[in-house]
Amino acid sequence: MTRPRLLLAASLAALATGAGAESISLYLIPSPSSSAIQSFIPAFTEATGIEVVVTETPYGEAHQKLLLSVQMGQGQYDVAQFDNTFLAPFGAAGVMRPLDDYIAASPDYDIADFSQGQQDYGKWGGQTLGLTLSTEPMIQWYRTDIYDQLGLEPATTWEEFRANAAAVEASGLGDGVILGWGREATWWWMPLVWSFGGQLYDETFEPQVNSPEAVAATEYFKDMLQYGPEGGLTANGDDVTIKFVSGDIGAMIQYSGYWGSTLDPATNPNLGNIGTARMPVGPVDVTHLAGWNIGIPADAPEPDAAWRFLEFVLGRSNAVAYLESGAAAIGRTSITGNADLLATNPYLPLLSIPATSRIERYPQIRTWPEVEKAILDVMPAILTGEVEVQAGLDALNETLRPILAQERAP
Amino acid sequence: MSDAPASRGRGRPGGRLGDRPERPIEREGARLARLLAAPAWAMLLAVFLVPILGALWLSFRNETLGSFSPPRFVGWENYAGSLADPRFWESIRTTLLLLGLGLLVQMPLGVGLALLLHRRLRGTALFRTALIVPMLLTPVAVGLMWRFMLDTDLGIVNWALGELGAPEPNWLGSRWGAVWAVTVVDTWQSAPFVMLVTLAALAGLPPGPQEAAAVDGARPWQVFAFVTFPALLPALLVLLLIRVIDGLKMFDLLFILTQRGGPGTATQTLGMLIYNTGFGFFQTSRAAALGVLMVLLVLPAWLLWRRAERAS
Repeated sequence: MTRPRLLLAASLAALATGAGAESISLYLIPSPSSSAIQSFIPAFTEATGIEVVVTETPYGEAHQKLLLSVQMGQGQYDVAQFDNTFLAPFGAAGVMRPLDDYIAASPDYDIADFSQGQQDYGKWGGQTLGLTLSTEPMIQWYRTDIYDQLGLEPATTWEEFRANAAAVEASGLGDGVILGWGREATWWWMPLVWSFGGQLYDETFEPQVNSPEAVAATEYFKDMLQYGPEGGLTANGDDVTIKFVSGDIGAMIQYSGYWGSTLDPATNPNLGNIGTARMPVGPVDVTHLAGWNIGIPADAPEPDAAWRFLEFVLGRSNAVAYLESGAAAIGRTSITGNADLLATNPYLPLLSIPATSRIERYPQIRTWPEVEKAILDVMPAILTGEVEVQAGLDALNETLRPILAQERAP
Repeated sequence: MSDAPASRGRGRPGGRLGDRPERPIEREGARLARLLAAPAWAMLLAVFLVPILGALWLSFRNETLGSFSPPRFVGWENYAGSLADPRFWESIRTTLLLLGLGLLVQMPLGVGLALLLHRRLRGTALFRTALIVPMLLTPVAVGLMWRFMLDTDLGIVNWALGELGAPEPNWLGSRWGAVWAVTVVDTWQSAPFVMLVTLAALAGLPPGPQEAAAVDGARPWQVFAFVTFPALLPALLVLLLIRVIDGLKMFDLLFILTQRGGPGTATQTLGMLIYNTGFGFFQTSRAAALGVLMVLLVLPAWLLWRRAERAS
C-alpha cells in the first residue's frame, strides 16, 4: 500500500468508529475507471471494516437499469457510476442524491482543487449530483512521425486542421484524418457546431440546428470525410481510436480518456509516435468536456458509508494512486500540473482548460437521448450526400421541435 | 327427456372418455393431473399473461422513466401518436423489407441444400455438420463477428474483394449495404434451419411415389416439381411461417451488426424502434403501445402457423 493510502486509511479507520454500515453496494459500468475503483476496495475494507459488493452492468443498459431500480425504490445500490449525458434525465427523475453537503464538509475531497468549470461538471439544477470520475475533453491527436516528416504542426484552427489533413493525404503517407462519422457522430458534430458559433437550441428550447453556423459546421464535418479512411463513415467512438492507432492516419479528434487504451504495443504499432494538442478552434473557442460521473442514488441504504468510499477513492490524497491504477485522469489542478506524471500521461496539461475557452458538456436536457437519436438518424443521409446539408438540417430542425418542446414542461 | 347425453363430459377433461361412465379412480387421476399441472400453469401466467396485461395497461398511460409529468390515463393517445409517427411506418417498411429479402434468399437456399444433402453424396455428413454450425451460434456473437468481417478498412470481406479486384463497398455505412449485410448474415445463420427441417420432411416422405414417377419416365426436375415439392408443401408452409415470425421479431443481430438499426434508420425494424423508444428515450408507455401494435402485426402469421401445423 502506498504511503498516502496508508495515511488516509488510518484517518478513515478513526472516522469509521461507530459507523453502522457493514457493507455497501457499488453499481459500476465496465471501463478503466471502474477497474481503478475496484482496485481500492481491499484498502477501503481494511480501513473501515465495510465490505464492498460490486455489480457491473454494460453501458448499453446500465442507465436504464439504475433508473428503474431507483424509481422502484429497491435500495439496491449505494454508489453508482453514470455517464454525464444522463445527468439531466437522472436529475429530472430524482435518481441521484445531491452531494453538496458532503463535498462542503470534506477537506480531503477538496473541491477547490478543480477549476470552476469542472466543479460544475456534475451539477444539474444547481445541485451536484455526481462527482467527476473522469475528465475527458475532446482533444487533437496526431502522428508525430508523419507530422515531422511533412513539417506540420498541430492545428490551432479548423482551417489549419483541414490543411494538415490535405497535406498528409497528398503525401501518400496515410489518410489525413479520422473523425467519428458513424454511430456516435454527435460527439464530433456538436463541438463543431459550437465551435463555428452555432447552438443546438436556444433558451426557449427552439431548435437552431439549421442556422448558418450549424450548416457551415456540418459542411466542414462532411468535407473532412474525403481525408478519412473508407470506413470512417461507420466508425463509432471506439472504432475511431482503433483505426487511428492501428493504421496510418495523420490526426484524430477524440476524447482524452482514450489515452489509456492506446498504451498496449500489441494493439498500437504506433506507440511512441502519438502526440496530443488542444482541439482546434473556430470563430468561438469551445472545449467540449465529457467523462464519467459517480454519485449516490437517491434510495441508497447507506449514503454516509457511500460517501466515505467516494472520498477514499476520489479524494485528493489518492488522486495520483487513482490515475496510476489505470483510470482516465480526473482534472484536478494538482494532477494536471504534476510534472512527474507527464512522462506517462503527456496529455494531462490539456485537462486544464483555459478560462478563455467556453466549456460545453453534453446538452443537459431531459430529452437528450431522443434528440441525439434524431440527429444520428439524419446524419448518414447528409454525410453520404443523399440529402443536401441545408435540407437535411431543415428537416432535423422540424423533427426536433416537438421533442424539445417537452423541455418546457415543468 | 333425459339430460344424460348433454351433461356428459361438458367442460371437463374427464368427460371426454367416451360413453363409458367415469370411474372414481379416473376422476381422482384427473384431479391429481390438474393439481400437478397447476404450478406450471401458474408459472405460465406469471411469465406471459401478467407482463402482457401489464404492457396493455401501460400503453394507455403516459409513463416515462424521465418523469416529465405525473402518470395518468391517456386513452388511445400513445396508439394515435405511434400511428402518426413517420418513424413507425418507416420501421414497418424496413421490417417487411428485411423479412422479404431474407425469405427470398433463405427458403430456396435451405431447400436446395436439403435436396443436395438428401442425395447422400460423398462427404455429406461433414458438409451437413459444417452447415449446422452457424445455427448453433448466438446472434450476438454472429453479429459481432460479422461486424468486424464487414469493416470497410480492417475487415476480411473487403480485403478478399480487393484481392479479387472487385469494388469494396462500405457495407454498414450505406442503407442498401447495411440491408444486404443483414440479409447475408441472417441467411448464413438461418438457412441451415430451413435445410434441417426440409431434410427431416424429405426423410419422412414415402419413396414410392417418387420411384413410380421415375419408372414412368419423369425427369428429376419433374419428379421434384410434381411429386416431391407438393408432398413437402405442408412442412414448407410451417417453416415459412416460423421464419416470418422470426424475421418480424429480429432484434439481437441488428443490435450488434448495424449498431441498433443504423446507419441512421436504415435497418431500424419495429422491434428496434420499440427498444429505442422504451430504453433509449425512456418513453415506457409509448414503447408498450408499439409493442401491442407489433403483437397485432405478428398475430396473423402466428394464427396461420397454428392452422398449418394442425393441418400437417
